[in-house]
Amino acid sequence: MEMTTGRHAGAAVHHTVEGTDPGLNVQTYEPEHPAALPPVLLIHGFASSIALNWEQSGWISALREAGRYVIAVDLPGHGLSSAPEDVDSYSPSRIRADLLQIASDAGARPIEPGHPDSGLDVVGYSLGSRLAWEFGATQPAIVRRLVLGGPSSRDPLAEFDLVAAQRFLADGTPIEDASTAGLVTMAQASPGSDMYALLSLVEAVKEEPFDAAEAVPKQPLLIVAGEKDERVEGLEGLHGLVPSAKVVVIPGRNHVNAVTARAFKQAAIEFLGEG
Amino acid sequence: MAELPFPLPDLGEGLIEATVLEWLVAEGDQVERNQPLVEVETTKSALELPSPQSGKVLKLYGAPGEVIKVGEPLIVFEVADDTAGIVGTVPSEDAPKRRVRLNANLDED
Repeated sequence: MEMTTGRHAGAAVHHTVEGTDPGLNVQTYEPEHPAALPPVLLIHGFASSIALNWEQSGWISALREAGRYVIAVDLPGHGLSSAPEDVDSYSPSRIRADLLQIASDAGARPIEPGHPDSGLDVVGYSLGSRLAWEFGATQPAIVRRLVLGGPSSRDPLAEFDLVAAQRFLADGTPIEDASTAGLVTMAQASPGSDMYALLSLVEAVKEEPFDAAEAVPKQPLLIVAGEKDERVEGLEGLHGLVPSAKVVVIPGRNHVNAVTARAFKQAAIEFLGEG
Repeated sequence: MAELPFPLPDLGEGLIEATVLEWLVAEGDQVERNQPLVEVETTKSALELPSPQSGKVLKLYGAPGEVIKVGEPLIVFEVADDTAGIVGTVPSEDAPKRRVRLNANLDED
């Protein structure tokens, strides 16, 4: 099983971005039989991790089996990444800068016509989809194709009631806003979650809320969501901005259990296998 | 041949049960070790369980939406008797052939 755990890219390469080391855990995975296709970068969701979102859900083994080299990152304060104290370390723009450095260190190179393995494909889930959307829009020279799972055109984290969450954590005062209460419950249920770091991330996202129309990706785009995901209604907002996007809705699945769906993995692998 | 039942494994985090989302194999299928068997959901996340071993699927427990407790049967495989660790029931006509299949585990990681 050692082969599938990947190597820690940070052990070989140490870069600082904007003057500080982000301390992000990066794991890369070699394919079983390499396809002539670019690496795939995986960006997990809020209160999740590489382990939860991609490993135990079967994504990494499915991608490796499809011949893909996989680069996975734990977001700051998540999984095995460090949990910095300063809020700036959690800002979406800072995370995108770190992702670019990480992808480049892991071997991704700009798209070059005639080189089918150049560029980078990106798969995000939930908050990871927001980051993937912006990453694709701002890095057209390197990002080739995008898959967004369980995305939201609005920003549930930006609407998060931080004060109510802090009060709830301090003395148990119930949280009135249903979306905030749901996110806190999800964060508390997440194994090994660092609530302080998660709230720092929320704070940083509130300073840079998602504005899908501000930068629209030009790459081929696949959007996937569970039929019972409450965010599914917002898909039209994203689809409206990218009318050429392919949309797949997974019957019977919600925001949590659409992640493992075979139909999601198959749609993504097929879409990312196109030249 | 022998029957080898496989219970829902301990999923860690103090989880005691999981809900079946979707089976990825059917009764009668021949599966390889590490091949995805089933998607399940716990109170914390959704996950895909890989097969603990190669064999033919004899029986699946739990339709989608049904809850299985950790330790309860999940799947039953049909395997060669020596694989199942059962002594003394190897049919004599099969015994010589099995002795030469020593490279069967080469691709295991």
